[in-house]
Amino acid sequence: MTERIAQHPDLPLFSSPKKSFSFTFNGKTIEAHEGDTVASALIAAGVRITSRSFKYHRPRGPKDNFGQGPELLMTVDHAPNVRSDMIPVRAGMQVETQNAWPSTQLDLMSINNFAVPLLPNGFYYKMFHKPKWLWPIAERFIRKAAGLGKIDTQGRAVDTRYEKRYRFPDVCVVGSGPAGLASVKAALDAGKQVLLIEEQEQLGGHSRHTVFKVENCREKKLNGLTEQEAVRSLIDEIEKHPNLEILSQTQAFAVYEDNLVAAQRGTELFKIRAISVVFAPGATDRHLVFDNNDKPGIMTGRGVERLIALHGIKPARRAVVITTHDGGYHTAKLLHGAGTEVLAVVDGRQKPPKNDWVDGIRKLGIPIFEGKTIHRVKGLNQVKKVEIGDLHGQFSSLSFACDLVVLAVGYQPQLNLLSQGRTRPVWDKKRQILRVTDLPQNIYAAGEVQGSASFARLYQEGFEAGRAAAQQSSLSESQRDENELIEALPADIESGGKHHFICPCMDVTRSEACHSIEEGFDQVETLKRYSSMGMGPCQGKTCHEAVARLAARDTGLSETEAVPTTMRPPLSPVSFGILAGRAPHLVPQRRTAMHHCHRKAGAAFLNAGQWKRPHSYLPPQEEALMVRKGLGIIDVSTLGKLELSGPDVMDFLHFMLPGKFRQLAVGRVRYSTMIGEDGILFEDGTISHLEEGVYYLSTTTGNQAAIESLFRWWVLTDQFKVHIKNLAPVHAAVNVAGEKSREFIQKLVDIDMSNEAFPYMACRKSTIADVPVLLFRIGFTGELGYEIHFPSEFGAPLWEYFLEQGKSYPLKPFGVETQRILRLEKGHLIPGVDTDALSNPYEAGVDFTVKEDKENFVGKAFLKNFKERGIENKLVSYKLNSADPIPEDGVAILKNGKIIGRVTSSRMSPTLGFGIGLAWVPRDLSGAGSRFQIRLANGQDVTAETLDHAAYDPQGERLTS
Amino acid sequence: MSFMLTCPNCGKRQVGEFTFRGYFKSRPQQSDDFASWTSYVYFNKNKIGKQWEWWNHASGCQRWFIVDRDSAKSTDHQSVWFENRKTLEHE
Repeated sequence: MTERIAQHPDLPLFSSPKKSFSFTFNGKTIEAHEGDTVASALIAAGVRITSRSFKYHRPRGPKDNFGQGPELLMTVDHAPNVRSDMIPVRAGMQVETQNAWPSTQLDLMSINNFAVPLLPNGFYYKMFHKPKWLWPIAERFIRKAAGLGKIDTQGRAVDTRYEKRYRFPDVCVVGSGPAGLASVKAALDAGKQVLLIEEQEQLGGHSRHTVFKVENCREKKLNGLTEQEAVRSLIDEIEKHPNLEILSQTQAFAVYEDNLVAAQRGTELFKIRAISVVFAPGATDRHLVFDNNDKPGIMTGRGVERLIALHGIKPARRAVVITTHDGGYHTAKLLHGAGTEVLAVVDGRQKPPKNDWVDGIRKLGIPIFEGKTIHRVKGLNQVKKVEIGDLHGQFSSLSFACDLVVLAVGYQPQLNLLSQGRTRPVWDKKRQILRVTDLPQNIYAAGEVQGSASFARLYQEGFEAGRAAAQQSSLSESQRDENELIEALPADIESGGKHHFICPCMDVTRSEACHSIEEGFDQVETLKRYSSMGMGPCQGKTCHEAVARLAARDTGLSETEAVPTTMRPPLSPVSFGILAGRAPHLVPQRRTAMHHCHRKAGAAFLNAGQWKRPHSYLPPQEEALMVRKGLGIIDVSTLGKLELSGPDVMDFLHFMLPGKFRQLAVGRVRYSTMIGEDGILFEDGTISHLEEGVYYLSTTTGNQAAIESLFRWWVLTDQFKVHIKNLAPVHAAVNVAGEKSREFIQKLVDIDMSNEAFPYMACRKSTIADVPVLLFRIGFTGELGYEIHFPSEFGAPLWEYFLEQGKSYPLKPFGVETQRILRLEKGHLIPGVDTDALSNPYEAGVDFTVKEDKENFVGKAFLKNFKERGIENKLVSYKLNSADPIPEDGVAILKNGKIIGRVTSSRMSPTLGFGIGLAWVPRDLSGAGSRFQIRLANGQDVTAETLDHAAYDPQGERLTS
Repeated sequence: MSFMLTCPNCGKRQVGEFTFRGYFKSRPQQSDDFASWTSYVYFNKNKIGKQWEWWNHASGCQRWFIVDRDSAKSTDHQSVWFENRKTLEHE
């Protein structure tokens, strides 16, 4: 079985780690060495079954040890679906297996495996369809059996603080194998800022475990070294360069327009905007389909090399190497050096070349079988025996008893990032791989992603790509020699048997794929969706080539017509936390000039868009009574405030707003709505004639930026000569409301505040404590009141001054919630709260703001249409009986069990002692005295009575006197 | 949408700094029939290919301008002030 090795004759850089520590696996203590991944520590400890497959619960074990397939997904410290071969193990880690019951060693759900013929694609649609009662029961079983890790709903997962980081390099290089390192060097030589992204902890790519000798490299000093030593020397050379940033253990998972590369490292998301990007992601061992090709004990050549060279593990007792190129001999040599008995090298080539590697294996006495390949493996829970024969699976001639089968049958390029939604890879007949050739501007590809090649070629190609990226110039087409090409075996070795797994993630076999094609899903994209091939955790990284080739073959196309399905981001699993980030700090928070006064006064805050506004200081019902009976002050600085002037200002107002303003004298204020081109009410506010030709428009808090930009757009398109000044950030504002407000303000100003001199809906300029102020006598709260606008630098001092001067009344602050109660008593609507995208001004009851007889204005055509159509529903004030409970905002109004309307705002009126609100009701219920039923959230019904006037002060005497 | 949009005032910026107000279309005359108004308000071409568009540099200089953009290939675009729109090739 597996054991640790202390030295290795073929690996000069090998040194066994000194420190060891422990962690737990399914509650059992496991020893790990420094430098181990979670997976390598488990493999060293002899764990062979690491998971159960998705559908059939077949045992699965480590394969590539490179974060590719689903076999090594585990729950680590309560975080599900962690790729255990990609993260370093730490002392005390808690690792658990997934998708097996009771355990991966004995999984009772593997009974599914014997039911393979009963569980074809889409079986759950077909089999549990009828009778109807069967599905809920079946669904419970299927949901339990399928699916992967479980989300930790108790939030025990560590490292849940997510960050977003930004980088703006000249050149971003993805992958740090020979090609990636050479690109970095070339770009650094050209004086560029370079960012290097590497998925592993260490740089070097596959060369870290490769001991082929470097020959004919353009970098002369590397010649004669092993690849391992060559990349070490390159890393030493560039590592400390001041213009290089290295992000290791970082996965680039997406690339978007204009070279935006998204990468993740732990809980950090990197958004990298590079001028040029070089992709050198390399290639992984090809996925070969044959009978039982998913058994634990089948590993890829590079997967085995990683275990030996990087983690010091002898992976098995007896192994058979299946290969089609010299790389297999390299793996066999490393296995032999690690103490594994290599029973045979099975080479698909009819005549392996004469070279040191092939001869070396021969000299070791290891038999080489030429022109043969694997047919099937046998063994219940892991590989016990392998049978080999001819390339087409017809005649199985030999078998070996072994516990490891190594597959080194060529490489499939990591195309995902290069292809992502833009360029579809095509089958390169000469190189026998899928390739992306047509790349977007300033994106370059180099290395094994263009086909396997010698170290010297990878270096050369990387260097040229790095240089081109630095200059943003074009790159000449990459080349490959005859001896670098690897002939592909048939994608499926058709040796009989039922278990030819094309997609190990979703448990899809060749016969299931063929079945789906027979059912009519004969385009690769529909085939993928129906059979779910390539839709598992690895998103086709393992199987996309096999899917493309076999789909072509089974639909009667030639191999050159093989098309993979579209590759989309993300390349590797990304948690929602990564994408969301630590959101609150990315949203600006806006505070008024008086914010700290409110905090000192102990206000509770609410969010109004980006603004923080005081919700209330005391219970809102108490505050409301205080305003009605005495005097209150509220901070309304968040209102939008636009000053409009210029020769066309009147034409502009008449065009933008539904009303007429030519009669609006200096010193007067008018309420106005705003109507969209679609005739829908979306905003309201007041318009004041400050001085001859200068108008002051107030808007709601949420719309202040939108209205300004909308106005600027119309000024531009229709060429109005209008000057727009946004005073929202410049002016602070308060509303002083209550019976005593006139008396109070009269003490502070030297203008005449009497009802005759300063009537309702008028505005005046004055000073308070030497601060210039604008006074508006308006009444959103339904009480005598004044809005006071003044430079926001005096926000806090003037607020304190008001409170100090009003002490004797007493004058106390009130919050937004209180204001909402007060305005509701008065029946004033709030656009967006009491109206929505279907509310026209006639139905909302604000048609007094619309003057249809104007020549041309925004929304006119639709308003005319609405008027002709007449009222269907109406926004009305209503009241409840005093004993009735208060409905929640937004609940339904019912008639004979059918929804006929809804409540938009609902509060208890402290002044009147019963519930009041605004509601949309059909026309026949909109007349005064009509009664309708409101259904509360708890199911109870209350009866409301429609009012044709404000619940409070219907005649408006308090406002106008 | 991750491309870099050119503001005629500020230069190339991340597209997230801008707001979009649809493609350039002309408003019907007030005397036009209601059908032309509904199509103006509710029907958009959703064109794949080059079109003139309205963009506002909302998180920057706040100015409106016209972008001649290929909706399928955002990186390929040209930005001009509204007054200079006639310098663009087509509408």
